[in-house]
Amino acid sequence: MKIGEIFRPYISWANGQGDWPDIVFSTRGRFARNVYGFSFPPRASKEKLKELAETAMNAVKKSRLFIKAHCIHMDELDGIEKAFLVERHHISHNLASQVSGAAVVVSSDETMSIMINEEDHLRIQSISSGLSIKRVYENIETMDSQLGRILPYAYSRQFGFLTACPTNAGTGFRISCLVHLPALARTGQMAKVLENLSTLGITARGIYGEGTYVLGDFYQISNATCLGRSEQEFAENLNRVVNNLIRHEIHARENLIKGGAKAKTEDGIFRSLGILKNARMLSYEEFMQHISLVRMGAAMGLDMAIDISSINQLTILMQPAHLQTLAGRKLDQFERDVERAGYLRKKL
Amino acid sequence: MLCHECREKEATIFLKVAVNNKITEMHLCQDCASKKGMPSGFGQSLPISEMFGNISGFVKEFLPKEKKTLRCWSCGLKYSEFKETGKLGCPDCYKSFEPQMTELLARIHGKAVHTGKKYSPKDFPELAHARKKRLLEDLKKELKEAVEREDFETAAKLRDSIKDLEK
Repeated sequence: MKIGEIFRPYISWANGQGDWPDIVFSTRGRFARNVYGFSFPPRASKEKLKELAETAMNAVKKSRLFIKAHCIHMDELDGIEKAFLVERHHISHNLASQVSGAAVVVSSDETMSIMINEEDHLRIQSISSGLSIKRVYENIETMDSQLGRILPYAYSRQFGFLTACPTNAGTGFRISCLVHLPALARTGQMAKVLENLSTLGITARGIYGEGTYVLGDFYQISNATCLGRSEQEFAENLNRVVNNLIRHEIHARENLIKGGAKAKTEDGIFRSLGILKNARMLSYEEFMQHISLVRMGAAMGLDMAIDISSINQLTILMQPAHLQTLAGRKLDQFERDVERAGYLRKKL
Repeated sequence: MLCHECREKEATIFLKVAVNNKITEMHLCQDCASKKGMPSGFGQSLPISEMFGNISGFVKEFLPKEKKTLRCWSCGLKYSEFKETGKLGCPDCYKSFEPQMTELLARIHGKAVHTGKKYSPKDFPELAHARKKRLLEDLKKELKEAVEREDFETAAKLRDSIKDLEK
């Protein structure tokens, strides 16, 4: 399969639409669902997994949820192609490592997808640009209701939707926002902010890059539990928390361009832009460190010669598997760093 | 900061979870994180079940003690296996281990009663029938195998189960 021919190098859900796109990169939601009469994937036999995959694929077709969709089986893909789908947020690492019956259906606009035979039979997902909790929720709700009429879901009145792992039982609902918080990180407030979040049933996650900063200053904020409250309540709680984060980040950004801090902040931003424009080799980590500042600069109205939407595209496209797909061949790390810098010089 | 798992390498991934006002914080190095199935890329979604199920020992820590060997009547999963992996075998496990699951879910989520979206399986009248048929087929196959390997004790039990189902 040629994944690069199916998916274009333009990612519709990273187009800078939705609310607060300069702070919230994307919103994602998912329902975990299982089909009655089948063991959960971790315990099912190869034959059963394949049977389930076929049943699920037929149900998706019958539901007419998607006018056009890509049905992709994991066993048709090579390593780079799987990594490509992971980078694109259509599948998880876990699904990529499954062999039998693992598949994904992705809508043609790439905002909706269904993973089949991940940890649960179905992971019904939607992703959208910016803060768009309502839209994402409506997307997965529609898919869920349609499929639930065709496939008998495993459900109990007491425990709700039954899942392989008890942490997902109940609503099976997870909603998350990927938020960009460079100013909070630079003003040393992140620890306090995360501390405050943790009393609200919210999970925060980041990846350390070089030094003390988190990779690209991106944090994933999601609900920590999913039983005992309604889907709407979980969504509203996340919405409140993310709105608070946005308020704090804006305040921190204002402080960064006040008085004496202004020159220092702008200097850092333009230096980062200079590196992205002129470097001959760039690791993904270094790229993320600089694009984070450029992203903040663009949001502050500084002349970055690139808008938020294009910056968002780059954060996806500059990942290893995407870069290799763009180049049309396998590249080792050295070659990737050269390729990445070359691509950026052309774009900026 | 050193990785909480191996205590050797520098931690590159952190996670903070608060459930029931208990804050669980984890710092892991890339190797330990990927060993536990945690993704490393930009903005990858968090397999929270992995975090709870395997990494932090969250499930183990909170699991109620079982008195004797519990098994799921439908898929045969032992309760002790669930404790090991943090993963249930099939939807019927919830019924088979109902008291344990009630306590565990209350500890994970703070509540053990679903108040979200309702779903009615009664829209599927043919389901009960199909399921019974499927179960019977499986049991008959197992019976045949038991007889072939002259395991008559198991065969007798299977025969009883089939009789019960066919009533």
